[in-house]
Parts: sequence; structure tokens; C-alpha cells
Amino acid sequence: MGSKQTVFTREQLEEYQDCTFFTRKEIMRLFYRYQDLAPQLVPLDYTGCPAVKVPYELIGSMPELKVQPGPGDMENPFRQRIAHVFSEDGDGHMTLDNFLDMFSVMSEMAPRDLKAYYAFKIYDFNDDDYICAEDLQQTVTRLTRGELSAEEVSLVCEKVLDEADGDHDGRLSLEDFQNMILRAPDFLSTFHIRI
Amino acid sequence: MLRAALPLLLLALSGAVAAEEPTQEPGALGEPSPGLALFRWQWHEVEAPYLVALWILVASLAKIVFHLSRKVTSLVPESCLLILLGLVLGGIVLAVAKKAEYQLEPGTFFLFLLPPIVLDSGYFMPSRLFFDNLGAILTYAVVGTLWNAFTTGAALWGLQQAGFVASRVQAGLLDFLLFGSLISAVDPVAVLAVFEEVHVNETLFIIVFGESLLNDAVTVVLYKVCNSFVEMGPANVQATDYLKGVASLFVVSLGGAAVGFVFAFLLALTTRFTKRVRIIEPLLVFLLAYAAYLTAEMASLSAILSVTMCGLGCKKYVEANISHKSRTAVKYTMKTLASCAETVIFMLLGISAVDSSKWAWDSGLVLGTLIFILFFRALGVVLQTWVLNQFRLVPLDKIDQVVMSYGGLRGAVAFALVILLDRTKVPAKDYFVATTIVVVFFTVIVQGLTIKPLVKWLKVKRSEHHKPTLNQELHEHTFDHILAAVEDVVGHHGYHYWRDRWEQFDKKYLSQLLMRRSAYRIRDQIWDVYYRLNIRDAISFVDQGGHVLSSTGLTLPSMPSRNSVAETSVTNLLRESGSGACLDLQVIDTVRSGRDREDAAMHHLLCGGLYKPRRRYKASCSRHFISEDAQERQDKEVFQQNMKRRLESFKSTKHNICFTKSKPRSHKAGRKKASQVFFLGPQKDGVANAEAINGKPPRDLGFQDTAAVILTVESEEEEEDSESSETEKEDDEGIIFVARATSEVLQEGKVSGSLELCPSPRVIPPSPTCAEKELPWKSGQGDLAVYVSSETTKIVPVDMQMGWNQSISSLESLASPPCTQPTTLTHLPPRHLVAEEPQTLLDLSSDPRPSFAFPPSLAKAGRSRSESSADIPQQQELQPLMGHKDNTHLSPGTATSHWCINFNRGGRL
Repeated sequence: MGSKQTVFTREQLEEYQDCTFFTRKEIMRLFYRYQDLAPQLVPLDYTGCPAVKVPYELIGSMPELKVQPGPGDMENPFRQRIAHVFSEDGDGHMTLDNFLDMFSVMSEMAPRDLKAYYAFKIYDFNDDDYICAEDLQQTVTRLTRGELSAEEVSLVCEKVLDEADGDHDGRLSLEDFQNMILRAPDFLSTFHIRI
Repeated sequence: MLRAALPLLLLALSGAVAAEEPTQEPGALGEPSPGLALFRWQWHEVEAPYLVALWILVASLAKIVFHLSRKVTSLVPESCLLILLGLVLGGIVLAVAKKAEYQLEPGTFFLFLLPPIVLDSGYFMPSRLFFDNLGAILTYAVVGTLWNAFTTGAALWGLQQAGFVASRVQAGLLDFLLFGSLISAVDPVAVLAVFEEVHVNETLFIIVFGESLLNDAVTVVLYKVCNSFVEMGPANVQATDYLKGVASLFVVSLGGAAVGFVFAFLLALTTRFTKRVRIIEPLLVFLLAYAAYLTAEMASLSAILSVTMCGLGCKKYVEANISHKSRTAVKYTMKTLASCAETVIFMLLGISAVDSSKWAWDSGLVLGTLIFILFFRALGVVLQTWVLNQFRLVPLDKIDQVVMSYGGLRGAVAFALVILLDRTKVPAKDYFVATTIVVVFFTVIVQGLTIKPLVKWLKVKRSEHHKPTLNQELHEHTFDHILAAVEDVVGHHGYHYWRDRWEQFDKKYLSQLLMRRSAYRIRDQIWDVYYRLNIRDAISFVDQGGHVLSSTGLTLPSMPSRNSVAETSVTNLLRESGSGACLDLQVIDTVRSGRDREDAAMHHLLCGGLYKPRRRYKASCSRHFISEDAQERQDKEVFQQNMKRRLESFKSTKHNICFTKSKPRSHKAGRKKASQVFFLGPQKDGVANAEAINGKPPRDLGFQDTAAVILTVESEEEEEDSESSETEKEDDEGIIFVARATSEVLQEGKVSGSLELCPSPRVIPPSPTCAEKELPWKSGQGDLAVYVSSETTKIVPVDMQMGWNQSISSLESLASPPCTQPTTLTHLPPRHLVAEEPQTLLDLSSDPRPSFAFPPSLAKAGRSRSESSADIPQQQELQPLMGHKDNTHLSPGTATSHWCINFNRGGRL
């Protein structure tokens, strides 16, 4: 309990509680998680709101994974994308706020619309607020880890677009996406992470 | 066991004279009487298999009878009906033989009847769902079963102590625990039989059903431990025995699962090498799965668990390895066997119940057991769910819990186990048997009957059969990865992380090892789903198209639906037979004269008139190959032809894409393209005032015309662009024109075809062979196409690779559209006539359209990507609305001009 006080001020904690779907305890736990990412960078005293960012290189490379991945070991195709989406300036370097944001979205308390919105953003590789064919192609290429030829990927994407494109503009708007995602309730009901 | 069944069956089936039965009875029991010796001798030779076959036959006939009435089966589960039938049959036997002769033998049940059912359920278990809910399933299976067994056993013992059970039931605590252990297990057969008809949502189903499968290990262990304790006598049981009992739980369950996985591995590995002997593939599946069951049984491990895991583990690889036909064979055989076994089990359960010699009724015990199993099941479910919901992402709500507790059906496993008890060691066996029978009957009949209304009344989320979509698959994968990535980001190794790791491991090692290389290629799931969707689309398209055409001849059903269905189906086929499609292109390169055209027309006419599948003859009596019968071949032929036509249209689409992409191309090709484009120009004009020109034969539009319009092309293109919104609709027109091109031939074919008795000529499209397929274009378009072809053939030798590409793309982009022109012209008069005709004629005129229709994707792909993406959906949407209308009313010129766009663009590039 004592450590809590030294890390955040009371106001800070309350603010975090307001901004996220977390309780105090969870915020603290996430903070330590965050701190673990880069112990040398992240101070244990956050009362002064230090402008600390954990660079992307350190995110997702936990100590036990810091061993060079084997040749066949494939990195998660979306890790970079997620860091990118949730980091403030899109460079993949995350502040504590970004970090909390991310888990807040992933928490079970977060409403579906919010989840759908962020899922949409993750898909939207070129950040133009639409999922267009290129975005889908990127997604599919990543998912299949380059096992499909470009032609096959484009065929798949065409079909996906055909299926989901409600307003027939050849790309998926957020509404299209939400429509499709919310129609299949299983998607978002499992889009949670428990830390 | 099967001894006295002949009389029964004679009675049941053929209504043999009842008086004869008793005289046969002793004989059937093995005391030969001289008078009937000959008959009996023959009978004994075949007795056992004959009876088995007859039993299955009776069961199947019963099933047929049940399903004659929809009303009955929709209200009453089949299992109930079968049990009741069994009761009736058993009653007849009893009446006739004065002695119940027949019952469910535990040996038969465990060795022959149970494995198919379990294999079926394991093999077709949705593995993803299963593993997602594994935690809950395991909890209910292990903790739940233990809880049920001990509480029920203890409560019954308490009941006895309290004096509610008659004193003739000689049983101690251990006996009651033994009884509790065998009565507490939810039965997979019963659950499957009932829940399959109820259609609750998948999660609920997998939890109840998974529990019923996995609790086998617990049941087996509990039963064995209690049994041996009872046999040892309560006094001799030592502390180490309890420990051993606990340890054996792990040994039995994990050992069973391990055996299953080992056999799954072997099975997958074996099927990898069956390329040359496809015919034994299904056999291998059954043999190895059965071997897994027997091995586990032999080692007294959990056999059910073993065969479940075997089915679950091998499916992915086996399905990829074995041929399509084998897959179907496996599926159907498995379902047939399981259904047979299930039917026989329930029927035998009913028959066994009649055997009152094994009964000893005690109302206190029976009532107590019934109440306790229901109560403790419910209590256990509620308690466990409460704990589980602390961890579950999607909590199980109250309604789910009600269904789960109510769905705890007991069945044949309990009955077989109770029959296996040793009467000398368990003096109360008869009471237990009676109680078990009552419990089984109660759960299967009463609960089975009421669960459907209950589910309806509680508004339990039903499973909905939505079509699998590519989106679903895509997003599922993406979400998995995203979740794994988020876990990765914090270095939290949760479920997603491990699943991700497992998938990687599977991809890197297991799949490589266990799958054929060819199969491995298409195993990427997204592509797989795409592939399957396409196949489904294609088949449904052909089913629809082929069937409709053949059955109704000229009338044309909803065209729009067909178009939309078919829109992507071709892509897949193209990929499948990619090389074949390319080879076909060569055909275009040959120059054809007018004479060839005539030949072609004749050829089509003949092809339409005379049906002849072009199949090589196979030895029809080969044991190793299944020869297709004529009908099948014919269907296949029709399918192929339909698909080929679709391919035809698609090829141009596809290569148009290539064309726009491949910029570096020879000047010559570019120019040729350009000139082609120009050639289209005048025709467009000509079509615009169609009345004047449409009478002309296509040849009249010579090269002079081409030259004349060369200058206007640029402006025309602009015009087209400005019109593009308008032309969206007319994309379809392109489709129609192509149809016209061949419709001429088709109609001729029809004339001849109508003389035939066989309906097939109408089904047969006029483009049956690779070569002929190209002919409509050639024959229709005359000089134009010849010009193109000769040009391209010239290119080919220059640089094989490059020239080939060019020829393909240029041919495809050029040859197909121009072909629409002349034919359009030739057929304009009939079209316009038709436009004024009543609807019936209209239908007639548009008859060939579906078969020749360009899928919308053609138009879509013809344009540049961005443009296409904007237009397609709208166009799709429009299609159903437009129907015949645009077919007739829209001026063909606009569509023509639309093609111009493509070629212009192509030329410029």
C-alpha cells in the first residue's frame, strides 16, 4: 500500500480510474507490468508525470524472450501494429497512459463499440479511417505469413470486401465493420485480456 | 446373447406362426431335437452374424417408421421411441418365450457399440470450441463427476441408515459409493442423442457433451476403485489404496489421452502415404481409431478418452491427406455406424428392461436415487459454475445452468457397468440394476422429452446456422493474433499466447511431418475457407443452373441470384485448374477461317444433339478404383462444362488485371491494343443507332471503319468516363452480349436437340471442349479475332516468357470483348423483337444467359482497381433488381462503350 502512494499521487490514481475501466489495484498491477518492460527507463515515482516512453524494441521482448528467436520463430504479425495503434504518436513507443489505454480497451468492462473501434483501427493500416483493399491485403498477408501469392491474397480480400461492404463503396467504413462484428456476437465477447 | 432372437425376429418381422415358436425355443438354446436337425444345423452356421444383421435391420426399419411422421419425431426424441420399441419387443419375447432372453451385454456394448459413437463424436468435435472451453469441461467432468458420485452414494447410504430403504437391500457405504460412481456419470450416447435434436448454442452443447466424454476416465476409475474396494472388503482397504485410487485417476485419464494421441499421430502419418491406394483410406481411419480404443481398453485406461482424443487429434491432418471421396466415405461411414450403434443401444436398453429376473425393486432406493441424482447434479452445476464464472470470459448464466443440470442424462454406460457387477460381491446388485434402469429410463424418456420444451420456454440461445463467411474466419484469426500480441506486449503468457505457440509449432513441425506436401499448401485456413466457400458457391451454382436447365428446358428462374452466387466461384476453379486454363488459351491462337466457323457451328450442334462424355474407359470391375457410373459422369461433364464457361469469362477478367499491372510490354502489343480499341469505337457508334446497323453481318465492319475512328478515340474515352456512373448498370450488358454470341449456336442446338428424346442436349452448352470453347468467339467474330490471334501468335516465338504473357493478357482483354460486338449486332433484331414480346418469350430469349453470363467480377476486374472497388457492390445490388429488364431495354451500345474503356486504358498503359 505504501508503494502505491509513492508511485502515483491520489489525484493521478483517481484520474486513471476515471479514464480507464480499472480499479486502483489493477492500475498498480499494470504499472508494475509496465515498469517491468524497461526497469531502467521507467521510474518508480510517477508523481511528477515523467515523460517516459518505452521504446518499441523493448515492448514485447520480455527477458525470457530476449533470446534471439530461431529462424522459424515467427513474430506475432500484429504486435507492431498494436503498439503503433495504441502509442500516442504512432511510433510504437508507449507511455504509461498508452499502456493503460490498451489494457483498458481489452478489459471486460470496455463496451463493445470501443472494442470494435480499436479493432477497426488495428485493421486500418494506412490510417485513412477506412479499411480498404490495401489494408485487408496487409492483414491477410500478415495472417498467412506470406504463404499466399499476391493474387490469392487479393482474391481473398475481394471476397471479404464483398461480404462486409454494406454501403458498397468498395471499402469498409467503421459502420460496416461494426455491423459485421456485432452481428457475430462471439467476436467481441472474447476480445478480452486478463492480466 | 443373440440366441433366442430368431423366434423374436420371425415374429416381429414376418409374423411367423406363434405356435411354432415354443417348439423352437429349446432347440435354439442348444438342445437339438432330431426332427428339425437339418434346419437347425444350417441356422447355427450363420446364427450370430445373421442375428446381428437382423437386429440392425429391425432398428433401421424402426427408425424409418419413426421418421415417417414428422410430428412424432419433432416432439419425441428418437432415443425415447427406440427405448419404447425395445420395451415392446422385449415384452413380445417375454410373452412368447416366457423368459427374457435378450439384453444389452456389457461386452458387446463396450467393444462394439460404444466405439463408433465415441469416434464419431470425437472426430467431428469442433476442436476450437472444445479447447476454448476445456477448462470448464474438465471441471465438470472431473470435479462434477466426483461430486455426484460421492454425494449420491453417501446420501443413499444415509437414506438407508435412516431406514427409508428396505432392509433387504444389503449394502454398505462402499456399495453405495460404487453405485453412486456408476450412476453419476453423464452418458455421451444419451446426451448426444437428445442434444442433437435440441440445438442449444454451441458453448452449452460442447460443455455438456465434452463433460460426458471426458468423465469416462473418472467413471472408470471410480468404478474400478470402488469395485476392488468392495471385493477386498471394507476392512482390508488401506490408506495406500486410496492414494493408489487417486493416482490411478491420473494414469487412466492421461494414459487414455496419450494412447489416443499416439494413434492419432500414427493415423495421420499413415494417411500421408496412401496416395496410390486411396481406396483404403477410410479403412485406415476406422482401424486405427478402433485400435486406439482397444489398446486403451487392454491397458485398462480410459478407452472413451482415447478414441475421442484420437479422433480429435487426427482430424486436421487426415482430412488434409485423404482424398475428397475418402473424406466423404469416412464421414458417412462414421455417421452410419454411430447411428446404428446408437439405435441398437437404445433398443437393447428397452429390451433389457423387460428382464425382470434381474430386477429387485425397492421404491425407497429408486425414488431416493432419482431425487438425489437430480438434486446433486443441479447443486454441483451451480457450485462449479459459480467458481468457473470467476474465470470465464463469457460467464454461464442461470439458464445455461438449468439446461446443464437438466441435460445430465444417464444412459447405457451406467447400465452396462451395473450389469458387470459381481452378484457374489455386491449382494444388492439386483436392486442396483432395477434402480439404474429406472434412472436411465427416466432421464432419457422424461428429461429427453421435456428438455426441448424447456429450452424453448427458457429461451436458451439456440445455435444458429449462419453461413461461414470469410470475414468471420479472417477476423477470428486476426483477433487471435491481436490478443496474443497484446499478451506478448506485456509478456503475459496466457491462453492466447500458448495457443499461438501451439499453432506455430503445429505449422512448423507437425503439419510438415503429417501432411502431404500438396495438402500442406492449401492448409492455410483463410485460403481454405475461401476455397471451400468457392466450391460451395460453384456447386450451388451448377446445381441450380444445371438442374434448372435440364428439368425445365427453356424457362429461366431467377437470374440475379444465380449471377450473384457465381460471382466468385470461378476464381477458385481457375486456380485449381490453373495450368489447364492457360493451355486452353493456346487454342485461341490458331487462326480460323470462315469454314472453321461453320465447322464449329456444326460441331456445337452435334455436341448439343449427341451427348457423349469424353471419358476414357476405365476397367469397370477394378477393385481398387470406384468407377463412375454413367449418370455421375454425365453430371460431372455438365458441371465441367458449366464451369468452363464461367472460367472463360473469368479468364479475361483475371488477365485483364495482369494486363493493367504489367506495364513493361512491347510497343507492338501496345499498339495492337490501341488499334483494337479504335476498332471498337465505330461499332459503338453503330450500335447507338442500332436499327440501321444491326441487320449487317459482323464482317461488314471492316478495318476501314477502324481506321475511320482512330482519331476519335481519346474523346470517346473521356465520354465514357463521364458516363461511368451510368454505365455501372450496363456492365451486365457485356454479359448478355457474350451470351448472344453463343446463343445462336445454342438455339440451333436446341432445334436439333428438341428432336432428341434425351433431355441432355439442352443441358449441354455449346462449348464442351477446350477447343470448341473458344469457337463461339471465333465463329462469331470473324476477321477481328483472326487479326488478333495472328498478331499474338507472332509474338510468342520472339520471347517465350514475355510473349506468352502478352499474348494471354492481350488476347484475353481483346479477344473476348470484341467478340461481343459482332454477335450483338447479328442478334439485335431478335432482341428487339423480344423486347416487345410478352414475358414468356422474354424468358426464352434470355435462356442462355445464365450460362454465359460474365460474372460481375469480370467487369469489375476489367477496370482499374480503385474504380472497380467503387462500382462492384452497387452493380451487384442492382443485378437482382434489374433482372430481365436491362437485358432487353438497355441499349447495347453503352456496354460496348464500356468495354472501350478497358481497352483504352490497356492501350495507354
